[in-house]
Amino acid sequence: MLPTSDVEALVGLGILLTALYLQSESFVGPLVDAIALQSLLVSVLLGYLAWVDDDPSLALLAGLAVAIRVLLIPYVLRRQIRAFRWRFRELGASQRVASHALAAVAVAIVAWFIFQQTLGPALPALPGAAFPFVLLLEGLLMLSTRTNTLVQVMGYLEEENAVVYAGALFAGGFPLFLEVVIFLDVLGVVLVAVILSIQRSVVGAPEEEYLEELTG
Amino acid sequence: MDPTTQIVNVLQAATVLLLSPLLAGIAGRIKGLTESRVGPPILQPYYDLAKYLRKETLVPAGSSRLFLLAPFVAFGAYLVISVVVPIITPYPLPYASTVDFLGGGLLFGLAGLVTLLAALAAGSNYTALGASRTVSFSALGEPTLIMIFFGVAVITGTNNPYVTNNLLASSFSAYLSPTHLLVVAAFFLLLLAETGKLPVESSGLMEFGMLEDGRTFGHSGRLLGLFRWNGWMKQFLLYSVFVNVFALPWGMSDAVSLPGALENIALLLGKLLLVVGVVAGVEATLAKVRLFKIRDFLALSFSLAILSIFVFVVVGVP
Repeated sequence: MLPTSDVEALVGLGILLTALYLQSESFVGPLVDAIALQSLLVSVLLGYLAWVDDDPSLALLAGLAVAIRVLLIPYVLRRQIRAFRWRFRELGASQRVASHALAAVAVAIVAWFIFQQTLGPALPALPGAAFPFVLLLEGLLMLSTRTNTLVQVMGYLEEENAVVYAGALFAGGFPLFLEVVIFLDVLGVVLVAVILSIQRSVVGAPEEEYLEELTG
Repeated sequence: MDPTTQIVNVLQAATVLLLSPLLAGIAGRIKGLTESRVGPPILQPYYDLAKYLRKETLVPAGSSRLFLLAPFVAFGAYLVISVVVPIITPYPLPYASTVDFLGGGLLFGLAGLVTLLAALAAGSNYTALGASRTVSFSALGEPTLIMIFFGVAVITGTNNPYVTNNLLASSFSAYLSPTHLLVVAAFFLLLLAETGKLPVESSGLMEFGMLEDGRTFGHSGRLLGLFRWNGWMKQFLLYSVFVNVFALPWGMSDAVSLPGALENIALLLGKLLLVVGVVAGVEATLAKVRLFKIRDFLALSFSLAILSIFVFVVVGVP
């Protein structure tokens, strides 16, 4: 059997690759699949650590993560895509695949340097300890570079995955109550985003022209 | 050098020379089957080669001597590579110490360079266009290759393909290390680009998407036959390095002996068939996209190669 550190590193690699894919994909459908896969990998890590540490609260969190992040939220997002076909693809993003992929790698490297200077010394020296922090900044990058509301929601989901990932590695899972609040928080954000996007499509977004001025 | 080693050395070069057209023939047949057609016979590349060698060679007026010499220089470069990388034995053959991964890369580069110069020496607009396109995309592929070499070097502490093969075959932890997995992925993507298997280009002559064949438009007869053979050898060598060093390093018989070498040839063919099948699957399932999308494809390959180094720094190799 592989040592725990190897399993953590392999799952971390999978999570990192999904982050790279999320940055460079312009179709929203595959993005939903990718964020579900990333959440599944986080859930697998939680389940594995629950098994290794014999911790029932981590097992419960893994189950919650699968139910909410892998099944429920992607289901809601897919329904939203079906309802608004025009949102299926983020126009313009397909021209920037190369730059998005390279930006994702650059952000990963910068995140690692920041981690080494700030959080790294205070945390246990685990292999792949920087991955959650890298994932957090990748989510931020997605939020800042994309214009499609649903894709931005996925950037937020990626950040939340980073928080749970960090909790799994360093805190042995946060206290269960906090984790449940985070899961419900994510669900709430998705529902609010869906309602806002429906509202925008029905009554329009008067502030849009002002926001467009900020795109540079 | 003892006689057995000499025989194995010659056998390795002969394997690359003689089996590379067969691999191309099998790949063509499998590709045909995936496209719901019979496809050419497996021995078609041998028939083609025989035909080219019988045909008259025409030399364009005003072309330089490089036009004539380039196919032979490239052929020599591929022949040298065939005796310095682990193909039919994991034991370093006498010339293996002369080059490492970087040296092998430079020899591939030399073959590519003289082919380009020959294309320019032909004095045709079509060959110049082919050369220009190839250079444009090679410039994006080379950094990836260098990063892959770095990735290999950080895993093994050396840049020698034999050491890499030995370490990966003996250590499952090193094989499963994230750095190695990313290097394999990046190398596979580069392999598709280098052997003309991208879903963005056509290996035929009648498409706007052609890259490789655009360079040899000016050649004919024996010279064209040599260029074709060079292409098959390049594919065979890259696939062999991919399976024996990176992806499937296990199973080769250790001792330098004739029976062991023959056993390894059979094993190598099995591994190569697997890769050819995967590549045919990639070709058949991915939709063909526009030529300039090669940039995105190579950027992804480059990103994976850089990530392999990054992951090594963050995680390390067990």
